[in-house]
Amino acid sequence: MRLFELGERIAKVHESLVTLPELAENTDVRAVLLDIADDPAALKPYLNRLELVVLRFPIFRDGRVFTQARELREYLRFSGEIRAEGHVLPDQAAFLKRCGVDSVVLPDGSDPALWERQLSRFPVAYQRSVLPSRPVGAGLRVEEGT
Amino acid sequence: MKRAVRVGTDEKLVLTANRLLDGVIVWRDRLGQWRPHIGVAEKLDAEQVAPVLELAQARAQADGVVGVYEVAVKDVEPPEPVTVRERIRAYGPTVHPEFAVETVQ
Amino acid sequence: MSVPVGHYQYDQIDRDFLDARIAEFSEQVARRIDGTLTEDEFKPLRLMNGLYLQLHAYMLRIAIPYGTIDSKQMRMFAYIARRYDRDYGHFTTRQNIQFNWIKLEETPDILRDLARVDMHAIQTSGNCIRNVTSDEFAGAAADELVDPRIHAEILRQWSTLHPEFTFLPRKFKIAISGSPNDRVAARFHDIGILARPGDDGRTVFRIFVGGGLGRTPIIGQEIFDAVPEERLLATLEAIVRVYNAHGRRDNIYKARIKILVQALGIDAYREAVEAELAQMDLEHYRLTPDMVDAIQARFAVPTLSAPGNPAQELANKRRENPEFDLWVRSNTHPHRDAGHIIAVVSLKPAGGIPGDATSAQMDRLADLADEYSFGELRITHLQNIVLGHVRQDRLYDLWTSLKEVDLASANIGLIGDIVACPGLDYCALANARSIPIAQKLGARFGDASLQAEIGALRINISGCINACGHHHAGHIGLLGVDKRGEEFFQITLGGRAENGASIGTILGPALPEDDTVDAIARLVDRYLGMREKGETFLDTLDRLGDAPFKEAAYETV
Ligand code: HEM
Ligand code: SF4
Repeated sequence: MRLFELGERIAKVHESLVTLPELAENTDVRAVLLDIADDPAALKPYLNRLELVVLRFPIFRDGRVFTQARELREYLRFSGEIRAEGHVLPDQAAFLKRCGVDSVVLPDGSDPALWERQLSRFPVAYQRSVLPSRPVGAGLRVEEGT
Repeated sequence: MKRAVRVGTDEKLVLTANRLLDGVIVWRDRLGQWRPHIGVAEKLDAEQVAPVLELAQARAQADGVVGVYEVAVKDVEPPEPVTVRERIRAYGPTVHPEFAVETVQ
Repeated sequence: MSVPVGHYQYDQIDRDFLDARIAEFSEQVARRIDGTLTEDEFKPLRLMNGLYLQLHAYMLRIAIPYGTIDSKQMRMFAYIARRYDRDYGHFTTRQNIQFNWIKLEETPDILRDLARVDMHAIQTSGNCIRNVTSDEFAGAAADELVDPRIHAEILRQWSTLHPEFTFLPRKFKIAISGSPNDRVAARFHDIGILARPGDDGRTVFRIFVGGGLGRTPIIGQEIFDAVPEERLLATLEAIVRVYNAHGRRDNIYKARIKILVQALGIDAYREAVEAELAQMDLEHYRLTPDMVDAIQARFAVPTLSAPGNPAQELANKRRENPEFDLWVRSNTHPHRDAGHIIAVVSLKPAGGIPGDATSAQMDRLADLADEYSFGELRITHLQNIVLGHVRQDRLYDLWTSLKEVDLASANIGLIGDIVACPGLDYCALANARSIPIAQKLGARFGDASLQAEIGALRINISGCINACGHHHAGHIGLLGVDKRGEEFFQITLGGRAENGASIGTILGPALPEDDTVDAIARLVDRYLGMREKGETFLDTLDRLGDAPFKEAAYETV
């Protein structure tokens, strides 16, 4: 497994990763794999002990991952690591980061240099995300990151 | 874009695709080359087509084409597509006669 | 550089962003060509930048945000038509322009040329928030309450490369109007917004969700009556977030927001949106008056001065020249300023291809915009071109110039003003050709006085159930269907997109092309025979129902 860090948090490898239904029974587990159809709100009771939430793209076109990540950060104020895996493209790197994802399990053959380039592609954004930001010029535009 | 192709008794199949770089419609000839005129397309029997199609699809990237599929044609010379859609692909839009694709080689 | 009238002026920050987007797309094209990206992976990426693979070639759809461009931009379209295409372009019902004969390897160059005039193809296709459409008479119409283009620009910016909403279940279309007379078909959009002035001097918004045409035509329902300006973006984030999380992804025909709104019911949908809003940090999403004012400041407002008595001069010219008078009657709209008028240039010459324009026509339109309308042009959702601010005493000269280039058809809102999608001549999804039948109908009813006699009557034609020609919303709608490889057309009557939107009902069995043209001619004759004084086609249809029209249409078949 090759991990690519999007830059907000250091990625850590966890021994055991369970699904949402298994989380209740395994009280010492600190990492969970959310199904694409799972509502992140279901993680509420476990937030204190969770260090990692893995979100899985069944296919890169399935954009629910972005909303799941955002709800984790914005509604649940989850401060651990969020990781994306599955069928994901480097073209999505900045979108993922801006929705609160910290790391990606690189698909086979995926070139980290492409991922790196996508992260610094755009100098500004036209809407707020979960990242800290400062206005640039007048209007909606912001510069993101710390 | 892939539709089930029904082949009538006096009909054959030809393979078509678009060229990756410029989108031009191309037809597969006897030598496996992709060329812009249906007149040179190799006519295949329904039973023959599956392996040829599979091979052409597998080679699409190397051959610089995209969206390979089979088209039913009348078994005449040059082959003539059965459906309006494929006739428009073969000969050009009906509303711009000046863009017609000639069918001779 | 002077600030353009009617649309947002880019600055260096916007241009740098656009350059970055072009660099990104160029790399994506290179990865496709070298095989790093498969076609399945590339397709959504190219669509997000407006590039389709159509029947004959690649097609590039260029965004015209809120339908407004300036003369420089129009000239760039002309240049692209000449340099990269076959000397013409096609204006669409979503206020975009499409080029039909594009090469993949040349698209990065085209995008760089477009960027020189602050234009792009971002989000003109794909499952993302599409180019935002607006009222073609915005900022000019006498009946307008607020100019919706400022907020349309805000929505354009907000939706551009939105990190969360770029891989939605399906495409997502927003339209915004600032007039009580809905000219944007707000209730046929995923989100339709009607702006009006609020008590505090800021704008408030009435919002509809879940409208659309396509396979399942549905009229949008009101979700909020009065969203304050500062909550606009938060509200839209919440509406789209609910859709992104819960919209169907298993079946593309059931993936639009309209299906989700139908499944949940509008009240449950509203509750879901309110639940999101309750959890959101509203301050984070606040659209402040400063932000709005800063964007508004990038729009120039035309200085409307019309000394003398322009209205009188126009009236004189109309009396002198009946042909001009006929054109003024159908092709103009009242302006908010008494000395000005809005002129609509028809792209529907009798027998022509609806919405097509040659590079020479585009160049000429750009010149005329400079001469008569502050360099500003708008594309209408009926595929015509508007010059928004013409002095009344100069309208005659404008008309004379339009006549010289064959752009003076007097048919706006009349039967010759046909909307047709590209159909089987270009479109990979079509069942039937839409353009030839439009040409035949246009020729059949070409005569300007006949059209004036028939009055308001709109024909819309789609080549398949995707309804790009809005056939459901046409007073007479034609839908191309495939009957064992043959092209047939199904006729619907009574659709309308204006206030009181409704969907047309099917008249009877589908007919072949020529029979369809004859059937329409007969039902128009029947209407002329049955109408009472002052009635439009829709009035007569509403009064009598469709039985007499059905009888006329199927008389001899
Ligand atoms: C030739 C290339 C085109 C293709 C492949 C295409 C494809 C489609 C498809 C698949 C849909 C149905 C989407 C759905 O309901 O989920 C659709 C709808 C639509 N298209 Fe096109 N279209 C094309 C050209 C156009 C043109 C030229 C126009 C404008 C004249 C247009 C305007 C629209 C509109 C307004 C809808 C809206 C229907 C709705 O909102 O439900 N399209 N198109
Ligand atoms: S309505 Fe159908 S035929 Fe017409 S452009 Fe849309 S998808 Fe193509």
